[in-house]
Amino acid sequence: MSTGKVDAAIVGSGASGSLLAAKLAQTGKKVLVLEAGPERTASDLYSSQLWARRLKWSGPRVESVGKHPINVVFGHGWGTGGSALHHYACWFRLHPEDFEMRSRFGAGLDWPISYDALGPFYDRIQTEVGVSGDREQEVWRPPGAPYPMPPLKIFAQGRVIARGFQKLGLRTAPLPLAINSVEYHGRPPCAYEGWCDAGCPLLALANPLAVYLSQARAAGAEIAHHAYVTRVLTNEKGDRATGVEFFDARGERRVEEARLVILASSALQNPRILLNSATSRHSSGLANASGLVGKFMMTHIAGNAFGLFKERTENYLGVTGGQLVSQENYAKDPRKGYLGSSQWLIANALKPNDLLGIANARPDLFGDALHKFLATASQHLATMTFVGENLPRRENQLTLSREKDRFGFPLAHITHEFSSDDLKCFEAGMRQGKAIMKAAGAYEAWSSGPVSMHALGGTIMGKDAASSVVNSYGQTHEVSNLFVAGPGIFPTSGAVNPTFTIHAAALRAADYVVARWSSLT
Amino acid sequence: MSLTKDSGNSEITRRQLLGRMGSGLLVLTVSTPWGELTPAEARAKAASFKNLTAAEGAALEALGDVLLPGAREAGIAHYVDDQLSRADSLLFLKYMEYPTSQLEFYRQGLASLDRLCQARHASPFANALEEQKTAIVREISQKNPEGWNGPPAALFYFVVRNDAVDVYYGSEEGFRRLQVPYQLHLPPPAKWNCR
Repeated sequence: MSTGKVDAAIVGSGASGSLLAAKLAQTGKKVLVLEAGPERTASDLYSSQLWARRLKWSGPRVESVGKHPINVVFGHGWGTGGSALHHYACWFRLHPEDFEMRSRFGAGLDWPISYDALGPFYDRIQTEVGVSGDREQEVWRPPGAPYPMPPLKIFAQGRVIARGFQKLGLRTAPLPLAINSVEYHGRPPCAYEGWCDAGCPLLALANPLAVYLSQARAAGAEIAHHAYVTRVLTNEKGDRATGVEFFDARGERRVEEARLVILASSALQNPRILLNSATSRHSSGLANASGLVGKFMMTHIAGNAFGLFKERTENYLGVTGGQLVSQENYAKDPRKGYLGSSQWLIANALKPNDLLGIANARPDLFGDALHKFLATASQHLATMTFVGENLPRRENQLTLSREKDRFGFPLAHITHEFSSDDLKCFEAGMRQGKAIMKAAGAYEAWSSGPVSMHALGGTIMGKDAASSVVNSYGQTHEVSNLFVAGPGIFPTSGAVNPTFTIHAAALRAADYVVARWSSLT
Repeated sequence: MSLTKDSGNSEITRRQLLGRMGSGLLVLTVSTPWGELTPAEARAKAASFKNLTAAEGAALEALGDVLLPGAREAGIAHYVDDQLSRADSLLFLKYMEYPTSQLEFYRQGLASLDRLCQARHASPFANALEEQKTAIVREISQKNPEGWNGPPAALFYFVVRNDAVDVYYGSEEGFRRLQVPYQLHLPPPAKWNCR
């Protein structure tokens, strides 16, 4: 671990933290990444849905409450690579309208930037990392360079469901995935064996171990594990971050001084750290003069449509994220009866057990009926995942709990409820999902209830300090050498998985920091 | 094909990964005085529980076997009991973000189950008739029965049902039961080594 002052202290080794560490270290900066969880290597990524649970959040409890609580454990990471170590690599661009919701539709929020500002960074990222897909078939995709790799293979499950879309006049396209379809930058192609949730030891899937953490280490960045950051420290005047306070593996309090601090933990922990960093100069929490730290917490509203078919679906083949995508319902058109976007991730590779396993496609079944269902469904089930927008609402918020962690710092307490628009969007999606399965020839079709997927918001970006926590680069309005990275800075959720945008926004922030290093530090 | 691990100084090839396969490795193991055993072996040897009482273990086996026949012999109670000793257990319950300790979740749920069965049939759940057990499981799968005093009944049902699926179908042997290929990348270690 670092001794003495570092140039940049980065809290979290996930998607944004690893990218920023690589980019800053490559310009000669002394970088320390502080990761709260244990070290993981590719050889720890065992093929087992039970062992996969090690990779999920095991840090301090997050009190997630409300009518529709945001998922915490399943969707977040613990250890090197954070959530991105077990993410499914469904890499989509947000759409131009996602950036302009308030302006165009009079609801939600606007980003301080348009799609055009982020577009070039999506292009750069997909080249650096490797994304497989087919831009031409993805007719809904915003402008940008074609993918550097052809799409991944389509198996029976994908073909079966695509038949239903086609019969209803709906288009599908190969799912864009940050998974190699061919060897790319020395990493092998996918083996199509469906263990993405357990982490990909082949590194065909672009998790942080595969790309940016490897680059960061090669450039000299250090990663401290079991380094649990509790506060950002500031100078007496309160206008400069001086470093971070953390507790090490032995539970001892440590301070790492830094010229620049980047909070790249999850959307659930970044606001908690800011609120816990209150001082006499920042009595309601650091970077929180607007009172917006922790506000506008978002997720995606998600669910599954299922169909049983007489033919074999080979649902054990492919990748967890799916084989195809349809964004026919992405356009935010209030005439639909709700405001919101959605998409289908089609033909997810399945395992018998675990939260998304085949057994939980019918949670009502038990006894011999469950055995019978598993025997049938493991050969004949097809499924697709609905991802719907969650409108930003101030009352969906993260505050500090009265309960504390073992070091005496308040836990995060999150209240969340989907809006009526979100729920209408979901219900329309589930009706459509069942119709698609039936059109595809399913002899039985059904759908699930709504669940939370991903966590976003809480440290939103905006044009000024009155309406946001950070600017479009993630720089806090109040402390110029303190940045926030990750999905927490998104002012809207869109209806796409966030990891590609996390990378694009982090790359844009990295360029900004590097170009202004002298003035920032 | 070869690929570089994150540190850049160690390589794992797919051939090496597959070479590490071993049918004896890919099992769920339980620490016992006889060493690491499968949950089924631990049950067959009547290994003592480390956290659950004998009565709780019997109730969990009975519940597991109603939820998924065969879960008893597969060692559901020994699997859960062993995981309850782990600092970072791999039980499905982890996902549910339940505020009490995992042991308390099971203990309170099983106690509620027994109380319910005593009230209805003057018998602990483990000793009830099969049709009585099935009716109770159907009831707790939907709502809290009157007087239920543990974790939400439907949550308890959902969690133990998933434990049963994990122990019966969550291993290479379980996949074989369904005639689906396991498609191993990297086998878990023979011994739990959770961190």
